[in-house]
Amino acid sequence: MSPSSAGMRIPVEERLFSLVLALLATEAGLTKNEILSTVQGYRQRFRSGGDNANLERQFERDKDDIRDLGVPLETLESPGDAGNNQNLRYRIPRGAYELPHDISFSHQETVLLNLAARVWREGSLSGESRRALLKLRSLGMTADEPMLGYAPRVRLRDASFDPLSSALDRHLLVKFPYLKPGEGEAREREVIPLALVQYQGRWHLCAEETGFGAQLAGERKMFLLRRIVGAVRTGAAAPDRPGDHAAEALDDLEKIWQHSVAEIEVNVATDAATRLANRRGTEELSRSADGVTAHLRLHFVDVAILADELAGFGPEVFVLSPKELRTAVVDRLTRTASDHG
Amino acid sequence: MAEAFQARDKLAFLLSLVPWLMEHDGASVQSAAEHFGVSVDQIRDAVQLIAVSGVPGETDSYQHEDLFDINWDAFEERDEIVLTNLVAIDDSPRFSAREAAALIAGLQYLSSLPENADRASISTLMSKLSRGASAEPSQMAVEGGQTDAALASTLALIRQSVDTGVQLELDYLTSAGDRERRRVDPLRVESFDDDWYLRGWCHLREAVRTFRLDRISNAVITDAPIEHHADDVRLPDRLFEASPDDLEVTIEVAVAAMPLIADYIPDGAVSETHGDRIRTTLRVSHFHGLKRLLASMAGMATVVAPPSARAAVAAWAEAGAARYR
Repeated sequence: MSPSSAGMRIPVEERLFSLVLALLATEAGLTKNEILSTVQGYRQRFRSGGDNANLERQFERDKDDIRDLGVPLETLESPGDAGNNQNLRYRIPRGAYELPHDISFSHQETVLLNLAARVWREGSLSGESRRALLKLRSLGMTADEPMLGYAPRVRLRDASFDPLSSALDRHLLVKFPYLKPGEGEAREREVIPLALVQYQGRWHLCAEETGFGAQLAGERKMFLLRRIVGAVRTGAAAPDRPGDHAAEALDDLEKIWQHSVAEIEVNVATDAATRLANRRGTEELSRSADGVTAHLRLHFVDVAILADELAGFGPEVFVLSPKELRTAVVDRLTRTASDHG
Repeated sequence: MAEAFQARDKLAFLLSLVPWLMEHDGASVQSAAEHFGVSVDQIRDAVQLIAVSGVPGETDSYQHEDLFDINWDAFEERDEIVLTNLVAIDDSPRFSAREAAALIAGLQYLSSLPENADRASISTLMSKLSRGASAEPSQMAVEGGQTDAALASTLALIRQSVDTGVQLELDYLTSAGDRERRRVDPLRVESFDDDWYLRGWCHLREAVRTFRLDRISNAVITDAPIEHHADDVRLPDRLFEASPDDLEVTIEVAVAAMPLIADYIPDGAVSETHGDRIRTTLRVSHFHGLKRLLASMAGMATVVAPPSARAAVAAWAEAGAARYR
């Protein structure tokens, strides 16, 4: 970084671009020394026979950045010299870099992909989808605006989303403080992250308990991101767990939703009646003779979350069952009343 | 960190621009800017960088034939981009695992829209993204296509109203509990996660209004033509615009619950932290919305002032609790 070693400062993107070009152009691969001494952006700062520790660290960071962009940067061991780091060779195999020729997107698909990218407006995924769109445009397709505008958005407000998703991609164990409803204090959990899924507007981490200090080892658990109440820390490399965990996690949540039912009474002219009737899976079992109240059956995943929602409706809702839900709603209403008394 | 992100975006842009320029020989700077949704200066900067970039080559010294080159006269005099020498890059890059995952999860979410109900074509598209990624897409998914029938039929009616150019008529229940028959020119459908909204011109209020889809019932297509189109009306960025008649309410919220109320906090509101609680200001049009919000956050948020707001929340919760005694 010292200005004396660089006659003129090469912008970061020029160095990264030159590195990608150099590694795409080589069949046999280049050694680190060859890269540092010849590639634009490094060669200006390379000291022949001197200490290049800073430059080497720069190269390590650049490799990570390039790989994050989906560029398959490969490391080859020199034949007959395995294990010698200085002789590792780097290259980008063309076939793994280029989008296969048989992949193309129709006009309609391009419109849909543009909309899909716009779903993400926050957090790291907004950057990922912005870069995905650049690559899509590289193929030449354009998308015009539909007549009725859509602005669908998925939120990423849980602070733990970005660190968890990065740990998931890097296959690392994670630790976080988790507050279960009804427990006064958060408990530290260490798990193997398997998938992040959003179900009914809430992000869940599907993970496997680790063997350290838990008889639960190997058990698959679902964690609500909003109950992760502190920093997520990454640990050692996580054991490999192949499978379509994201789809399985959504299936699991759907099964829980199917099996968990609550019965409530609502006053038909209220906000509660309108909104709960518009909820997926709600069934009206009966209506009172005077037509004032309706008896509804609802599906849910998490008692505490449903209790929050129902408490918000105040006197418009009366919980019949399950008892656990009824108690939770009464507790919430009593608490709110006393906090504001 | 900010610079690293910037540089990554720029690199993705360079690697995407080169193949496009190869396919669009002589493209104008203007057309490239429009296509990629960037400024003409960003295109000019990128082209100038590409034109002097290349590979070390046999001599390890970036000789002329090792570099990209452009027709400089065409570029400088006519703003046209003609690549005259190509190196290293032949084709568009693959998506990264995370990029593909972001688009796939976005598509899953969009499959809740009735017009995307064609599962086969969505899943074809998803598998193309998977194959077009340089590694297996990240394990991420969003529930989609599980939309309630009532919501789906409202969405379909909105679409029909716009396609045929006629107004929509619907029953709308306000959070104050008033049910009114409204005629609406639909302008845009918006959503946050599971919550869907219609933004439209309301003929009753003679203004742009936001309607929660789950508060709409008995929607029908009328024969009155639409008077306001999406192109004629500027929609504010915020779903719910502040009004001078809004009431300010001071509340204390648990730090962890802040995201739940973020939409109600006006820009520039002062927030002070007291231990694990944050004291801040909300703007609400009336207490009907406030009491519902606060009752759904028991123990997490408390109204501090004014006393009338505290009383409204207390009365609401108390009336609810009283039903069980």
